[in-house]
Amino acid sequence: MSTTTPLTAVKPGEQRTDTWSELLGRVGKIQDQKAFKQLFDHFAPLIKGFCLNNTNQSFGNDAAEEIVQEVMLKVWQKAPSYDPSKAAASTWIYTVMRNARIDMMRRNKRHQTDNSPIEVDDLWDEDSTTGPVVQFQRLRDEEVVQASFKILPNEQRQALTEVYMKGKSHSEVANETGLPLGTVKSRVRMGLQKLQAHIAGTAHAKVQA
Amino acid sequence: MNHLASSQSTSSNASAQQAPINHHPDANMLVEYASGSLSWGLSIAVSAHLQLCQHCQQQHAKLSALGGSYLSDTPKEAVNDDAFSRLLDSIDKVSNPAQHKAAAHKAAPQNEQAIMHTMANAKKAGIKAEHLPRVVKKLLPPQLRWQKISNALKSARLITGQGEHEVAFHKISKGGKVVEHDHRGLEVTLVLEGSFSDEEGIYCPGDFLIKEPGQIHRPTASQNQDCLCLSVCEAPVKVTGLLGAFINPFLSIKPA
Ligand SMILES: [Zn+2]
Repeated sequence: MSTTTPLTAVKPGEQRTDTWSELLGRVGKIQDQKAFKQLFDHFAPLIKGFCLNNTNQSFGNDAAEEIVQEVMLKVWQKAPSYDPSKAAASTWIYTVMRNARIDMMRRNKRHQTDNSPIEVDDLWDEDSTTGPVVQFQRLRDEEVVQASFKILPNEQRQALTEVYMKGKSHSEVANETGLPLGTVKSRVRMGLQKLQAHIAGTAHAKVQA
Repeated sequence: MNHLASSQSTSSNASAQQAPINHHPDANMLVEYASGSLSWGLSIAVSAHLQLCQHCQQQHAKLSALGGSYLSDTPKEAVNDDAFSRLLDSIDKVSNPAQHKAAAHKAAPQNEQAIMHTMANAKKAGIKAEHLPRVVKKLLPPQLRWQKISNALKSARLITGQGEHEVAFHKISKGGKVVEHDHRGLEVTLVLEGSFSDEEGIYCPGDFLIKEPGQIHRPTASQNQDCLCLSVCEAPVKVTGLLGAFINPFLSIKPA
């Protein structure tokens, strides 16, 4: 844990997950505005960068700014339910952003009727997990995940990027790339398996060490 | 794969589940759910399964962590100079923190009360609602209207705010056989109470079944208990059995 690390000493680009999780925890517990400002300065440009580079629809600067507003407002409102022992701040903020994106896509969809008793946060409900704390998240080691993702074979990483990060369906990706649907699906599956194996291997090595 | 779920489920959640869950959404469906490209109707089924299945919860949590790490690694784009002050304005508008906290406290019990009320109604309609996944509880209407489809089968439609899929409860009475039918569209079934079997196996609470278009099956409920399922269908199914001309279990079900 890096709880003793003075916040001012953290160099840009070198922050440990724990710093952000700690700040987010403070926002949730005592509505610490200073902590919130630090989170904003770090995550708002990331969210904007993510939106500009990873959305299915073409996404202008204004729309990206709006998503940033929406996500960070939700972060402030939902912070009291954030549990640092369950997820890193970046993971938690990612899920808030994911839900905002689903909400936005849904508003643009034609199949939707407006009398739904459930909302996006009911269907993608991070608080309803009943299980023991996920071992993997307890590690809080984003670098392991990042590294694992980077060593994936190119085609698997690309398939995962399209389907997971950009939120396209497998068939959309198949149509766009001209690849058979089965190929897209198996690349995603194999990529996930490899990720899992690599992460498990690293976790194991840590326990042994 | 991860065996944490099965080894700990007995201690942490002893009352909720008996049999282990053997049928899960596949990795591709889980990824589409996690990224939001899966349709609303199917996402309801996956979400409900997730609330029952620790194994899939963990898979999903890993995907979220992948997203989190990817977000951290994204090239930054500077936001507008006034972005933070705009945000503070909207926070002020929504409410000050103290009021917000009080409001949250107030809202929660009311919400719970509404759910309790609905659950009492569900009980009258023959559903032991307390074991249902939270998202399914939320879908329970004030009054559940069962429609008899055959001697063994009845259904009750749920309103879900979309028209792409039919989302409904199906209840097979104990020992009852459903008329053999095939599927014109994808059909997902999530077992909620009791169990049923078909040509391929036996399905218990939490099990998540996918029938592809064209697959034929004939579910039979176990002898000791009625079987309640949540089903999500892409399109009406047609009956292939002898009685098919007379009984089409799902034709009367229109998207809500
Ligand atoms: Zn599962």
